[in-house]
Amino acid sequence: MSKIWIILKSEFLRRVTSKWFIIITLLAPVLLVALLFIPGLVTVIASGGDETTVAVIDETGVLLPRLQAEAGDDFTFTASELSQEALRDSVMAGAVDGYLYLPPQVLDGEGGATYYSAEGGGLSFGMRLTRTVSDAVEQERLQAQQVPDEVLQIIETNVDVDLVKLTEEGEEEDATLAYTIVGYVMGFFIYMSVFIYGAIVMQGVIEEKTSRVVEVVVSSVRPFQLLMGKVLGIGAMGLVQLITWAALIGVGMTFAGTIMALFLNPADLGLSADASQQAMLEAADITIPSVPPGLFIWFILFFLGGYLLYASLYAAIGSAVEQQQDAQTLQLPIALLVIVPILFIGFIVESPNSTLSVVMSLIPFFAPILMIVRVAVTDVAFWQVGLSYLLLIGTFIGSIWISSRIYRIGILMYGKKPSLKDLAKWVRYA
Amino acid sequence: MALLSVENVTKRYGKTVAVDDVTFEAQPGRILGLLGPNGAGKTSTIRMITYITVPDEGQILFEDRPVGPWSQEQMGYLPEERGLYKKLKVGEQLLYLAELKGLARSTAKERIRYWLDRFDATEWHDMKTEELSKGMQQKVQFIATILPEPRLVILDEPFSGLDPINSSLLKDIVLELKEDGRTILFASHRMEQVEQLCDDICLMSNGKIVLNGALRAIKKRFGKDSILMEFDGDDAFLDALEAEGTIRVTNRSLHRAELRLLDGTPGRRVLEAALAHVDDLYRFQLTEPPMSEIFVSVVGEDAREQLSTDGAPAVAAA
Repeated sequence: MSKIWIILKSEFLRRVTSKWFIIITLLAPVLLVALLFIPGLVTVIASGGDETTVAVIDETGVLLPRLQAEAGDDFTFTASELSQEALRDSVMAGAVDGYLYLPPQVLDGEGGATYYSAEGGGLSFGMRLTRTVSDAVEQERLQAQQVPDEVLQIIETNVDVDLVKLTEEGEEEDATLAYTIVGYVMGFFIYMSVFIYGAIVMQGVIEEKTSRVVEVVVSSVRPFQLLMGKVLGIGAMGLVQLITWAALIGVGMTFAGTIMALFLNPADLGLSADASQQAMLEAADITIPSVPPGLFIWFILFFLGGYLLYASLYAAIGSAVEQQQDAQTLQLPIALLVIVPILFIGFIVESPNSTLSVVMSLIPFFAPILMIVRVAVTDVAFWQVGLSYLLLIGTFIGSIWISSRIYRIGILMYGKKPSLKDLAKWVRYA
Repeated sequence: MALLSVENVTKRYGKTVAVDDVTFEAQPGRILGLLGPNGAGKTSTIRMITYITVPDEGQILFEDRPVGPWSQEQMGYLPEERGLYKKLKVGEQLLYLAELKGLARSTAKERIRYWLDRFDATEWHDMKTEELSKGMQQKVQFIATILPEPRLVILDEPFSGLDPINSSLLKDIVLELKEDGRTILFASHRMEQVEQLCDDICLMSNGKIVLNGALRAIKKRFGKDSILMEFDGDDAFLDALEAEGTIRVTNRSLHRAELRLLDGTPGRRVLEAALAHVDDLYRFQLTEPPMSEIFVSVVGEDAREQLSTDGAPAVAAA
């Protein structure tokens, strides 16, 4: 046991003190946030900074002022006396971005408006323009019917439906979307970590083998101890990385509200200027999900279980080859086992309590990813999570036994590239 | 009492028998040479002694107890294929390997300092292993082998890749270890390199022990039927004698020849021929045959081929 500890410690310290580990651990969340927010930011900047000038041929004679009132920051509508042909030329010349043709029939609910531009405009542009024009037409027609103000107010009322989840402890605010995202993130994180940490384990085994230092090491410790020490040491490194990230994300979440509130204008939300941050976020319908401790604990446990199961298999494969490329064919079956659950995540999120979801989340090779997704999006009976975890641990014990039998032969085998059949044979050797 | 006894040990890999009913002993405080050509089964035998693999048949006893994890801590093993962790600093490397042998950190650190000093390598302590030359890495690995002060030191091809200065340093230290009461097991296919160091010899061929005993006794048994001569001048007379079938030249260079007398040819027959042909004769010595010649005598003339091929080692099987 103490030998495993010495190996674990050495593998762990060697890695966490490396420059790369520190850089990646600290920078990954920054990159992740950047990756999530840059597209949004770009859209905002692009649309905000780019006001579209639209010349309007208003044959109804009444819509233009309404359009101008509705325009907001996105559009500038200007009246035009020119003919369509003349406007065409000025669009092509770039004098205006485009022109809008409003035939008289639009006020009768027949026919539509047409927007002409050199670029087409794009999907979101089209939607915004349609909404603006529709609103203007709607208001004009309602007024033409002399609809009283009370009725107008009724039409403009939006009813928000709050989703409340009933649990054993009472009711809680439902944040289905938020927890779906949390589930996806956790599932994908385990998926990525199995691949990445598994590859690190495999690389470590291959290095030890090709540098031939392994023969000295196994003349001091049992191959099983070396295998376990290595797998646990790299696992400890992964855990440190994970907890660092969780802490960074936790800090980020705490301040996310403050940061978002900076971008919100209380007046837009119909609140007084000194409204609290909480009130503003609620009015803006922004939920910052808090991860319940139970979910986080299961996440750590399934991360460790999944890592151990797959890392032991990757170690066995690393022991059989002399360079990374030779491992390709051997690791294919493992890669497939990791990929299958990813194909099911969408289904699990949609119907987390269907029979198929329950069964899939109990299968040990899929459980680390699928069970954590289920725990995140729904209330899973404790027996299901517990059983799934027991099966996972049981499978790990089986796989480490098989792996250590392959490993002890593989690390001393040079020359020929073994097939899966050879590996099966090694398991049976005395 | 033997420190190590290998008793009727057999090891098979698939259909090939790597080690075939091998029996020998290593006596405490002596140097045992496990000699034989590549593929004779030396490394396979050592791997069972060091408990890296286990025999299919027979048993290996260390101090009368079957070998196991406990005996691994009593043995230092320098494998034929050298290797260290490239990225680790020399000091960390030695400390880690010593800890794996069960040594306490503080003791290990002290000894690391002593041995690095001894090898004139103190400044290597904080260098990455991959920054060292091959020869320097060999020294580091040798230090790693003897650092835990093992009772049995196993050196597989210890002199391969060492320059003459380091070879003689290594020899001095090996003799010092012996002085200190440690038992040493040499494995080598370069018999001439180790035979003078050995007290006992174990010759292996094709997985079997073909000759086993004290070096002196073995040499005596084969008698003085070899000649070592140094001279100046024409050495064509050697070819003539060889053609007659009275001698066989085993080693020959410009001014030096080693040969064996065949069929009881008297030594003076060669001496007379030499005096008649060479310009000057500096040395003419009737001597015991080298171990490689003894090996050939035991295994047969076919083995000469095996010995001279200093090619790649056989595929190391687990």
